[in-house]
Amino acid sequence: MSEFLNLLAAGLTSGAIYGIFGACLAVWFRVCNVLNLAVGDFAMFGAIGSAWLVQTAGLPFIVGIIVVLAGVGLTAWLFDWVVLHTAFDRGAGAHGIVGVFFYTFGLSLVLEGVARAMFGTDVYGAPSIWSGPALHILDFHVQRAGVLVIGLAIVSGLILWAYLRFTVSGRAASACGESVLGSRIVGIDSAKFRRRIFIMTAVLAALFGIVESPITGYTYMSGPTLSLIGVVAAGFAAFRRPGRAVAAGLVIGVAEAMLGGYVSTSYNDVLLYAILFAIIIFRPEVLGLGPEPA
Amino acid sequence: MTEPAATDRSTISGPAPSGPAAGSSAGPADVLSGVRRVRRRDPVPLGAGLLIAVVGCLVLVVMDGSYLGLTVTTGVGYAIVTVGMVLQLGYSRQLAFSQSVFMGVGAYGTGVLETKYNFSSLESLLAVIALAAVAALLVGAVVTRAPGLALALATLILPLFIYQLATFSSWLGSFSGIDGVAPFWTGSDYTATLVQTGIISAVLLGLAAGIVLRVMRSGIGLQLMAMADDERLGESIGVSLRQRRLEVFVLGSVLAAVGGAVLASVQGIVTPDVLSETSEITLLLMVFVAGRKSVTGVILGAIVIEYLTTSTSFISTNLGIIEGIALLVILLVEPDGVAGAIDRLLGRRTDRWAASLQTWSAARLGTRGQAAQGARGGGNGAGNAA
Repeated sequence: MSEFLNLLAAGLTSGAIYGIFGACLAVWFRVCNVLNLAVGDFAMFGAIGSAWLVQTAGLPFIVGIIVVLAGVGLTAWLFDWVVLHTAFDRGAGAHGIVGVFFYTFGLSLVLEGVARAMFGTDVYGAPSIWSGPALHILDFHVQRAGVLVIGLAIVSGLILWAYLRFTVSGRAASACGESVLGSRIVGIDSAKFRRRIFIMTAVLAALFGIVESPITGYTYMSGPTLSLIGVVAAGFAAFRRPGRAVAAGLVIGVAEAMLGGYVSTSYNDVLLYAILFAIIIFRPEVLGLGPEPA
Repeated sequence: MTEPAATDRSTISGPAPSGPAAGSSAGPADVLSGVRRVRRRDPVPLGAGLLIAVVGCLVLVVMDGSYLGLTVTTGVGYAIVTVGMVLQLGYSRQLAFSQSVFMGVGAYGTGVLETKYNFSSLESLLAVIALAAVAALLVGAVVTRAPGLALALATLILPLFIYQLATFSSWLGSFSGIDGVAPFWTGSDYTATLVQTGIISAVLLGLAAGIVLRVMRSGIGLQLMAMADDERLGESIGVSLRQRRLEVFVLGSVLAAVGGAVLASVQGIVTPDVLSETSEITLLLMVFVAGRKSVTGVILGAIVIEYLTTSTSFISTNLGIIEGIALLVILLVEPDGVAGAIDRLLGRRTDRWAASLQTWSAARLGTRGQAAQGARGGGNGAGNAA
């Protein structure tokens, strides 16, 4: 029982990481039908930037966090203004499936390069927000940073779900993803929603990086992997349902931990991804994407 | 060597409209034989393939086994992969990101067969092609069933678990990979070996480019183009979507495996890095920055980016920033990449060709129609002469 609970704790922690990136991807995709492949790089910037500001530049932790989050938000706004606005509002450049993937892929490359130039190739971990020994509840042992990670993921998923489902603004944001033209006809500023949610998810990802980095540590190359697992989690939420993306991420994380604990510690990821691959291929309806209309 | 030249469209569409004008003299069989005849004479794929092979060989001979020669030969290996990606991603818009996996199949296949089963280089290359074809057929049969983003997702997951598999498999050498892969053609010394292996690689590249151009300029190429524009349109005109998707997937994957075999042979070692998502990212950059619809563009793009990656200058240190900005600028300004921009500058845009061809065809058909009507009205066969 003790082993199961500890595997569950580890699985929920890693699942929360998958889930939060999936949620960030899903909510933005819902608004503008573009995948944010730079979401992991925003998290990386949050983690490494705050660690550098506190440990090297000597800023107080809270000031470091504020500076980094402001910097990430500014970067996201700048990217939207220069690239996304030009591409989607002015109709210039590539669209269709290329636009879905490659604008933010370009941003990811730039952020990774800038991080390498600024912070080098070292591993960074931000100071722990909630420091102290691991928590023990019966046989359940979990690190404090892990509790924060799981809590942040669940709260973020719930907030995003509630925003999209119950608020007028959320419904307007969803309408932008359904039809830009239609939403504009009824007076919804799709560009504004795209920009706001892009900035919000970038800041959320950076905050998550700060909270999570004491557990895993970050290098300038951490971003793409995080984005990729976010895409996987978002994929199991039809790329549009942030709440379900968090749930999918948690399930994936727990499955990964259980496979590692009870089947093979070496091949748990292989087995997990093989299972996910099989689900996508043989049961694509689980993703909610469904077959393309004939 | 960008999209199929507009002349190909005339090749396929030309004879059919001429049927009514030809009246009694040309039946459907004649039209089809005419199409086949013209297609067979299309000199571009063979000529381009030969040109690429010859130029590649000459360049590598001139470089004479230098470090730059090694870089270019490695770039040729990547170029074989990217040429296949032109067909998959650029031309057919098949959203598959599994090229690094099949590159790994080629590289690891070569390494395993040569070091563990004592295959010669030629035997291992042929075996790897067969193995990749079978693997691509099996994977493609299920993967290409997945719609749109599901296909992208499935093929994004593939590198994740194949990479993990390679890193934990002691049979595949774990993290250190497989060492001691023999070059394609061993010479008297290192320099001769590198040049000779480069020559084989350039020939393989020429072959790959010729095959891809042949497909792009054939009737199948037009079907792929129709599918890429609108799958429902393609289906409505009789294109077998699943069959064509599978064929494109298999061809792209086999070329990726050949590229992997070349890399293994040139570098002498295979590591799991070849399977990683970083490898896939590099391949995507080579294709999208250079021009995803241009065979020449992606060949040069692969070699240039490989050179930039391995150089020790300021550029290699800040390559991520440069590549990212270049990609964004290209996507915003010229989605068809550097090759598209050059074509635009030279006024060689295929869409312009297509537009001018359409105008020409319309005028020609109009003339023929009038002639045929005149002939019918006059009660003689003058329309045939038109």
